[in-house]
Amino acid sequence: MTGSIRLLRSTALVVGMSAMVVAFAVSRADAQELAPLPEPQEINQARADLGKMLFFDPRMSGNTALSCASCHSPETGWGDGKALSDAYGDLLYFRNAPGLFNVASRNFFMWDGRLDGSDLGTVVRDMLTESHTMHMDSRLAQERLKQVPEYMEMFEAAYSAEPYGGRMYGAIGEFLKTIRTENAPFDAYLRGDESALSDSAVRGLALFEGKAECSACHSGAMLSDGNLHATGVPDHPDLLGLDPEKAADAANRQITLLRFYASMGTPNYMNLRQDVGNYIVTKDDIDVGKFTTPSLWDVGQTAPYMHSGVFVSLAEVVAFYIAGNDRMVPLDLSKTEQADLVAFLESLTGDEPTVTEPDLPDYALRDVGKN
Amino acid sequence: MKKFPAILMGASVFAIATFALAQDSFPPLATLAPPPIPDDNLMSPEKVALGEKLFWDGRLSGNGSMPCSACHLPDLGWGTGGPISFGYPGTKHWRNSQTILNSAYYNKLFWEGSATSLESQAKAAAGGAVAGNGDGSMMEMRLRFVPEYVSDFEEVFGTSWPHLANAWDAIAAYQRTIVTDAAQVPFDRHLAGDITAMSDAAQRGMDLFTGSAGCISCHNGALVSDQRFYNIGVAAAAEFEEDPLYQVTLRWELYQKGVPEDVYRSGDDDLGLYHVTKRPGDKSKFRTPSLRELRWTEPYMHNGAFATLQDVVAFYNAGGGEGQTAGLQPLNLSDDEQADLVVFLEALSMDEPFLADPPELPETATWSEFSK
Repeated sequence: MTGSIRLLRSTALVVGMSAMVVAFAVSRADAQELAPLPEPQEINQARADLGKMLFFDPRMSGNTALSCASCHSPETGWGDGKALSDAYGDLLYFRNAPGLFNVASRNFFMWDGRLDGSDLGTVVRDMLTESHTMHMDSRLAQERLKQVPEYMEMFEAAYSAEPYGGRMYGAIGEFLKTIRTENAPFDAYLRGDESALSDSAVRGLALFEGKAECSACHSGAMLSDGNLHATGVPDHPDLLGLDPEKAADAANRQITLLRFYASMGTPNYMNLRQDVGNYIVTKDDIDVGKFTTPSLWDVGQTAPYMHSGVFVSLAEVVAFYIAGNDRMVPLDLSKTEQADLVAFLESLTGDEPTVTEPDLPDYALRDVGKN
Repeated sequence: MKKFPAILMGASVFAIATFALAQDSFPPLATLAPPPIPDDNLMSPEKVALGEKLFWDGRLSGNGSMPCSACHLPDLGWGTGGPISFGYPGTKHWRNSQTILNSAYYNKLFWEGSATSLESQAKAAAGGAVAGNGDGSMMEMRLRFVPEYVSDFEEVFGTSWPHLANAWDAIAAYQRTIVTDAAQVPFDRHLAGDITAMSDAAQRGMDLFTGSAGCISCHNGALVSDQRFYNIGVAAAAEFEEDPLYQVTLRWELYQKGVPEDVYRSGDDDLGLYHVTKRPGDKSKFRTPSLRELRWTEPYMHNGAFATLQDVVAFYNAGGGEGQTAGLQPLNLSDDEQADLVVFLEALSMDEPFLADPPELPETATWSEFSK
């Protein structure tokens, strides 16, 4: 008896130490090795099935015109293929809609690092209820779902309970766990299949980890240090309103941007004229222009790139890093080296998603007074 | 059958008692004075002009296209003309859109009296999920990107940027100009001494109204409303049985207004004042509406149950509806008397409807046009 208690204690100690080591490794970006994709998380299938329906259902938005898939479609790499997204109603958004591959393994959500990556339910709630995205009153969403018999059954199967805000968010979060990179050549390469990469891609990998220094930030199993950096990526001209022909659209993006700043309690928000990134979280000047390091898995499916969608191709992204700016030293890469780097980046891309929009069940009449 | 005479007798006694009370103690019908102006929102022509623009401006809604005027159309009596108001896209509403006309005189707004000023009513309607569905901070930022509004708000309110609370002030000021012109109302001309203003039928109807029909016990004073709340037994809207979207809204209203769970679970109709007070005795009570401008503001009741004034009078003549707690009794009016009553009700309206044309709305600009 005494012996087994000791054993338990020592096991607990070892587990605790391992956790510390891992935590230490995560905090040191440059210490992370490139690694295969994170293992799939356990899925509650009934909740994921429900979440998939809700993900595609426009009744989850205030005006029933937008679903999650409106800006995160499997047909466009779980993004929308646009530099800057549309927004709710007649408004327009100020950032690029990121793809959702491996979203359950991120350190932060949102380009500005506003939300904790371990909490899928909260990012879902934020997207559904935020006034520039889906602008949903969750109590109204609840009552809409209760008006659909199939949803009543699916909530019963998933939660043994009726539709309710937290359950809606949790179900969509469960579905998000299923969105993963599938069959990316570089993942196979890391798992031992050396033939998975072309010679050009292998040379690109050497550059990625070597003189191009990409892996200084794009490292670990997510090809991201899970951190925030200011790399001097410009805002998109469509946000800045420099083209008089597009002034009306630009104003609609600026409205959502400054409104967002106001709602985050950002100092001097009426006079800000750029996307200040992580500054809205910390209100510390050193964080102006910092954005989360995106994962590079499936980067071939998620153009355009950067928080502002300002680069339409991987070649443009590479050219940006080569040119350098006041925050990053220029890189000296030959044309062949640039092509090799792009070839490697393309090897990070897996299969196109096979998920398609489900048939959505209709509202049905209920017995009045049996709510 | 044995009980029948007793009930009739009881009813007569009650009717007589009501009549006697009416004669003695109800505020008399009168011509409206100018509407009250709150000390913290004084009128000015510039404020009213700004409020007029904002009343028509979809920027004060969630999707940019549901201004106040979407459900308060001048051509439709400043309502929607239908039994139940339009809902925000993807929703249906659940009550009749009340006229804006003379809303300046009410001390509580909405059928359930949940707003205590025009200012707070405008805010609530623009933000309600089945009405304007606007987010406050987003509506405010939309206004700030309109240079004309920036200068209007600065002139009227002295702020460097539009503040949303001031938008509701301006709209309320505008609404205080949407009031009956007594010179155009037969009843008011009659009170002023014009003996030709009301027909004989209207005068007979007025006698019934203030006398044996007992209407004046609730519809009294210059506004022709006591601004109290009664359950007169108007039946639940048929829409709640027929359309899933009305059912969604009915449950949502119960839920979001925080009724106890058993009331939510069994809710089968609009509970009116109960939504505000949660007192069981307040179920199905609604605020007595003004009877001015009825000619232009059909249909009638909180859910638009009655399309015509004849229907309304017939409803009261029968003693109100099932479950009423307002003490209504059958009136036993003849067909001619009912017709006279309708003629009088019509004489409380202006000769022509109060109309207004939409103003020209200002343009949005980019931030490059702001001064820092």
